[in-house]
Amino acid sequence: MATMTSSSDARRSSVATSMAGIKTHVATGLNPARISIRNLDFFYGDNRALKAIDLDLPERQVTGMIGPSGCGKSTLLRVLNRMYDLYPNQRATGKVTMDGENIIDPDLDLNSLRSRIGMVFQKPTPFPMSIYDNIAFGIKLHEKLSKSEMDERVEWSLTRSALWGEVKDRLSTSAQGLSGGQQQRLCIARTIAVRPEVILLDEPTSALDPISTLKVEELIDELKSDFTIAIVTHNMQQAARCADQVAFFYLGEMVEVASAAQLFTSPKQKRTQEYITGRFG
Amino acid sequence: MQQARRTASRGANLGDFVFASLTRIAGVFVLVLLGAIIVTLFIGGLPAFEKFGVGFLTSTDWDPVQEVYGAAVPVFGTVVTAVLALIVSVPLAFGIAFYLTELAPQWLRRPVGTAIELLAAVPSIIYGMWGFFVIVPIMAQYIQPAVIDSVGELPLIGPLFGGPAFGTGILTAALILAVMIIPFIAATMRDVFLTVPPVFKESAYGLGCTTWEVMRSIVIPYTRTSVVGGIMLGLGRALGETMAVTFVIGNTNRIATTLFGPGNTIASLVALEFPESQSGSLKLSALLALGFILFVISFIVLAISRVLLRPRLKV
Amino acid sequence: MSATLSSHSTLPGAIKNLNVAKALGRRRSRASTVVKALCVLATLIGLALLASILLTLIVRGFGGIGLGVFTEVTKPPGSNGGLLNAIVGSLIQTVIGVAIGTPVGLLVGTYLAEYARGSTLGNAVRFVSDVLLSAPSILIGLFIYQLVVAPFGGFSGIAGCIALAVIVIPIVVRTTEDMLSLIPVAMREAAMALGAPKWKMIVQVCYRAAKDGIVTGVLLAVARVAGETAPLLFTSLGNLNWSLSLTKPMASLPVTIYQYAGSAFDDWVQLAWVGALLITFGVLAINILARVVLRGGK
Repeated sequence: MATMTSSSDARRSSVATSMAGIKTHVATGLNPARISIRNLDFFYGDNRALKAIDLDLPERQVTGMIGPSGCGKSTLLRVLNRMYDLYPNQRATGKVTMDGENIIDPDLDLNSLRSRIGMVFQKPTPFPMSIYDNIAFGIKLHEKLSKSEMDERVEWSLTRSALWGEVKDRLSTSAQGLSGGQQQRLCIARTIAVRPEVILLDEPTSALDPISTLKVEELIDELKSDFTIAIVTHNMQQAARCADQVAFFYLGEMVEVASAAQLFTSPKQKRTQEYITGRFG
Repeated sequence: MQQARRTASRGANLGDFVFASLTRIAGVFVLVLLGAIIVTLFIGGLPAFEKFGVGFLTSTDWDPVQEVYGAAVPVFGTVVTAVLALIVSVPLAFGIAFYLTELAPQWLRRPVGTAIELLAAVPSIIYGMWGFFVIVPIMAQYIQPAVIDSVGELPLIGPLFGGPAFGTGILTAALILAVMIIPFIAATMRDVFLTVPPVFKESAYGLGCTTWEVMRSIVIPYTRTSVVGGIMLGLGRALGETMAVTFVIGNTNRIATTLFGPGNTIASLVALEFPESQSGSLKLSALLALGFILFVISFIVLAISRVLLRPRLKV
Repeated sequence: MSATLSSHSTLPGAIKNLNVAKALGRRRSRASTVVKALCVLATLIGLALLASILLTLIVRGFGGIGLGVFTEVTKPPGSNGGLLNAIVGSLIQTVIGVAIGTPVGLLVGTYLAEYARGSTLGNAVRFVSDVLLSAPSILIGLFIYQLVVAPFGGFSGIAGCIALAVIVIPIVVRTTEDMLSLIPVAMREAAMALGAPKWKMIVQVCYRAAKDGIVTGVLLAVARVAGETAPLLFTSLGNLNWSLSLTKPMASLPVTIYQYAGSAFDDWVQLAWVGALLITFGVLAINILARVVLRGGK
């Protein structure tokens, strides 16, 4: 856990003032919560897919979510930016607080919520347009930038997602011509270009080869200096490598949450131990 | 036992051979059918083609007394009514498809979708009667006089909306055609919109897009080719429509100079003139030649439509 | 905005010009709302058109329905004629047309789904069948006129049946191929593994599994050809007298409607509306039935 908070200490003070009143976890080495989830239930029709979840996502750190397929970890991610709103018969109850607002309040402005909480999906989803336009697309939704400002922003987000060097000479070509790993980094670039506060990653490397996976993992480590990150993964090594805090889900319940070091070395719950030692899942 | 099995197996092989051959023959039959339609119409039209040559396509005459026939007027009418119908129906069909795929509450999607599809099932002749008895009077009493008095006064486009308000004419025919092809275009658009993988829409929503922005920036670019294919399918339908047009177009062999003017189309001319033409006459040959031209035009349009739709949709 | 930008190189995190974002957001959601409203309007127009057609038919046609419509044949104006010969003629031609077209369409659909996957000939057949599906029906009428009516001495009921059969074929081809393609490979393999020859596998397993879809296709074909007018004008022509002979001109509901609707006699126009009401509601009912059959199968 030595690498965990190194880069963000300097900024902590300013954050902490705005975070007054939200409990901190100094003892565990975790930052104050950026999003706190309290007593969250989620239903697909009558099927209760999440049961009374309590979880804090610490500011500018990575929360890993692990568990067997169908355990609810991806569902939780889709609650955080209200992706479930696209589908009928899906609903959430409870409290998910960010900046004093309840994210699952039906009256919330979804477009602005989603500009603050970005999401990257399992499969790369380059839009049918050029590389440049893929990045500019999201920015134009929320900001008015001049051409030069836009160029600067596109370059910044591509640089930040470690893709600039590979694509700078072909920004106007179709994004669908990129390799899978490049496409996924493009999707990350597109997400951070909007400059969200939180980034949700839903198994971002499961469709990628090992080298691309490594690049994305390095990128996540880079990005946490600026963004609060939640990542769902099937890969426990990945969770161990990337996450500051890890939550284990099983059958819609959150069984245990702890710092990565603690959860993987000395889990408190028997089910967690069985899962991480490979007895099921 | 062995013997019996061998016989059974031989029977099976024979059965397979016979059945496979039957289906193959049926398949080839469809090709022959299309070929036969083209050849029959062409041979039937040959006397007219030989008599008038290329001039058949450019001549605006249709004079049974002098036995002079030309295709220019009905070809013009066919193309103009079909294109006008597209201009009217595409935005409406798009709106319906957008509503059905993204906006309508789940429980409404099937009944509304079915109702729109039923528009396609109403027989062509019913559209003709509805057009003649319902739409034509509305056009004559309200719409055409109002438009003539307002838009008709404008420079440039004004002359397009001139003429007496009979209610019938090119525009009325185009409107009826538009209603008839809306369900085809809307259903095709809906089906291709549904083929966009949800994860692409989700990632656009994830950036904070509104429903319309997702449609405009993701769904339409994704399905552009197939959407054009669906529109071509509607165009193909509009080109060959007969009965509905015959009721409302005014049936005059003259190139209309205004949208309210009467005209004709290949299909309406054939339907009207056919009963008055003798077997083996030059007039009948001219009608068959028109049929051949219509077939070629529709074939090209429908073929393009298939090619564009095939990759995304099995229609 | 410049303040926003200057922060890029160091830490662009979440510092945003909220006012711009809000103003943009308002404009964007307004645009979305306008488009949504227009789409709802388009859908309402579509539904209103259907309602207008159906209402017109009911208002103008319903009053004219009486026993005489079904018991009397078409008669000169003013003599209380009915539509019996037209209704019977339509039934005969539709049934025979579908009876001829369905087996051919079934075989072609089977060829495409089971034997010709990916072959050049198969692709050509599929393409041509698709084009025929939307080809102008009046040209089918002209074709059969040249092929059957002109050489064999005149308009006849059977020529009408053949014209309708040509229209039926591509409809049945489409649904048959689609439905056969939906059958899981495992089911075919299970049949083959029992030692069934391919043709038995298709006829006894696949046809049975695809039954609902095939029935749907046939029903849709019935609904389509029952309302066809243009191809019958040049083939069975229409007949104002009672005749069941397939070798003579034969009446049909659509052609009679066409003749009557354009006439100057009030009672004929009234009968045309009655006929229009019958044919439209009949066709729509069959259409809905087809959908119910298909959904029942899923």
